[in-house]
Amino acid sequence: MSNNDKKSPEVDTVYKLEPTGPMDRLRRLSETFGVNLHGLIVIALLFALPLIPPFGREDLLRWLIGAALIGAQAIAFDFTTGYINVVNFGFAAFLGVGAYTSALLAVNFGISPWIGTFLGVLPAALLGFITGILTLRLRGIFAALMSWFVGLALLGLTRNLTGLTRGPMGLNSPTYFETASNLPYYYVIAIMMMVTFFVLRYITRSNIGLAFRALGQNIEAAQASGINPTFYRVFNFTIQCAFAGWLGGFYAHYYGILTPQIMQTSHTVEVLAIAYIGGRGSIWGGGLTAFPFIFLIEYMRSNLTNLPGLHLVLYGLLLILVMIFYPGGVAGVYASIRASARRFRQRRAAQSAA
Amino acid sequence: MGQLASQRTRVWHQMVGSLTSAAGITVLVALVIAVISTIYSGPFVLINSVVTGGMWALMAVGLSLVFGVMNVVNFAHGEFFMVGTLVGYFVFTPISSYLADHPQPLLSAVGPFIGIIAAMLIGAVLGVVLEKLVFHPLRVRTKEQWIMNTFLLTVGVSVIMINGDQLLFGTNFKGIINYWKAPPLDIFGVSISVERVVVFVLAMVVMAGFWYFMRQTRIGRAIRAVSQDETGAQMVGIELDRIQVLTMSLSSALAAMAGASLLFMFPSYPTVGLKPLYIAWYVVILVGLGNVAGALVGGFLVAMIQSLTGFYIGQGWDDVIPTAFVMLILLIKPSGLFGSEVKGVHEQ
Repeated sequence: MSNNDKKSPEVDTVYKLEPTGPMDRLRRLSETFGVNLHGLIVIALLFALPLIPPFGREDLLRWLIGAALIGAQAIAFDFTTGYINVVNFGFAAFLGVGAYTSALLAVNFGISPWIGTFLGVLPAALLGFITGILTLRLRGIFAALMSWFVGLALLGLTRNLTGLTRGPMGLNSPTYFETASNLPYYYVIAIMMMVTFFVLRYITRSNIGLAFRALGQNIEAAQASGINPTFYRVFNFTIQCAFAGWLGGFYAHYYGILTPQIMQTSHTVEVLAIAYIGGRGSIWGGGLTAFPFIFLIEYMRSNLTNLPGLHLVLYGLLLILVMIFYPGGVAGVYASIRASARRFRQRRAAQSAA
Repeated sequence: MGQLASQRTRVWHQMVGSLTSAAGITVLVALVIAVISTIYSGPFVLINSVVTGGMWALMAVGLSLVFGVMNVVNFAHGEFFMVGTLVGYFVFTPISSYLADHPQPLLSAVGPFIGIIAAMLIGAVLGVVLEKLVFHPLRVRTKEQWIMNTFLLTVGVSVIMINGDQLLFGTNFKGIINYWKAPPLDIFGVSISVERVVVFVLAMVVMAGFWYFMRQTRIGRAIRAVSQDETGAQMVGIELDRIQVLTMSLSSALAAMAGASLLFMFPSYPTVGLKPLYIAWYVVILVGLGNVAGALVGGFLVAMIQSLTGFYIGQGWDDVIPTAFVMLILLIKPSGLFGSEVKGVHEQ
């Protein structure tokens, strides 16, 4: 398989390295977590960011939180889109299900938001499981349409069951912390994002991830080599929606107000755009891209108030440009830079040997 | 004598066969429901669904056509509806303000049609732009995973068009009360505004013209040939590029026309196209992706389901129930109730 061919040189270099210096030991440690040295630096930067002067401001912290939330969603989104090649077009609805569950539990039963966030995972995962089964027989675009309809139905239900959700009037939900500061929220979402990243990265690097990729490329061929599409597709959907529900809990208890608005397709499109610009099938691409991107968007929104909607035009434009001209996205740029750096090093080594 | 009898049995078998197919059963059930609801609660539901159904059919036909010919699942179809409402508004308002000063019977009768035709033209031009600017470059780069990629491309186009509208024309509602200042007509004891009647007639006329175009003209047959077999069509000398441009502009012109015609029901604002988009999708899934003829029946069916839910269950639910219904169809019969003449939809 071509996948093995591509992977083998990297694996060789890892095992040929003698763990002599501290850098090599660090490198090996990072490999076990599924990130390389650059990844570790980015993660460290992520946690240190609020301590670097301009980012400590409350308004910039809000942007950071928004970026991390979208980034985490993009990571979860890519888990399905980039691997089994099914676009969950109702993604935002599953987020909303988690958010509403957690908020309603807190409002009606006084359950702590911390526990509610985890309880919100259950209905979202259950609905994801059902959607996975519903879309099972359908290929590509039909599966996307089906999940879209599921999302629309959930949105319609949330809007109409006003006795439960208060519909468009909005549901007030308690927040995690009493403080007005955004800093603790940032660390909560940063940790949630990291957990999402590491869990999904771990799954996609295992044999399960290989099975996902095989199913995404060619279902018949994958089936012929003994991969059970039912299990893997439903499993993938369930995991993705579980994470969506979990992140929804954060949404509910950070913003403190929920309207059916968050379940709209436009929200899915936002996440989808970031995931694609970040790079399909990379898991980390969307998470990283969200930060500069959301900053750019928010900057445009707050400074170009006389041009409303311009930032969203940028979304669409970038999505189109990436789709047409550079399907690899940010992750693709990174991979090609790494490849050329490696070639450069090899050439230099060959020159010095000669 | 015997020949006649055998012919009669053959016709009989054909009739029974077409009635017991999924399509026949659906149409029969729909008719029965329509009759029952008319008997119990008056002709309101029936007339309501007939009036809007025609325009939904036009939307769905465009969507179906583009999928059939170009294999593009167009998420931005509703945005052409939006463009239609916009053009209709900006063409019709000056006309009506001019008419307020200089009353002129001919212009006041024809004025709305000028708006609708202008919308069609601009929709057609935008369709060409979309094909040349978006789909053509992607086709040049790769045809791998074409359906999924173009779907996501149209998602991007939709975002750009919605927010471009907001950027250029703002978020306020731009609507008109009526096209013609005439008293409502009285049909079977239900008073219907003139606009609705005209819109229905217009939809039927355009539909008939479209049907003639697709069946009888050379270009229409070329379009159908491409939708059935792209390679074969190329072999007999059909220029694919031109057919694709034409199809895209035709589809967006139909959507824009629907938008301009329904301006009195849907005032123009950036996201006005969402609901027509959903409806067009319901229709297309219901009858089968790529099935142009079925879209007409499907348009009326979906309009009927909607007005039935709106009437008996509540206004807010007219999104939920059709969605659930369409999900059911997608589960049981993914190729749609009427089947699809486009080959290999499920392989892609």
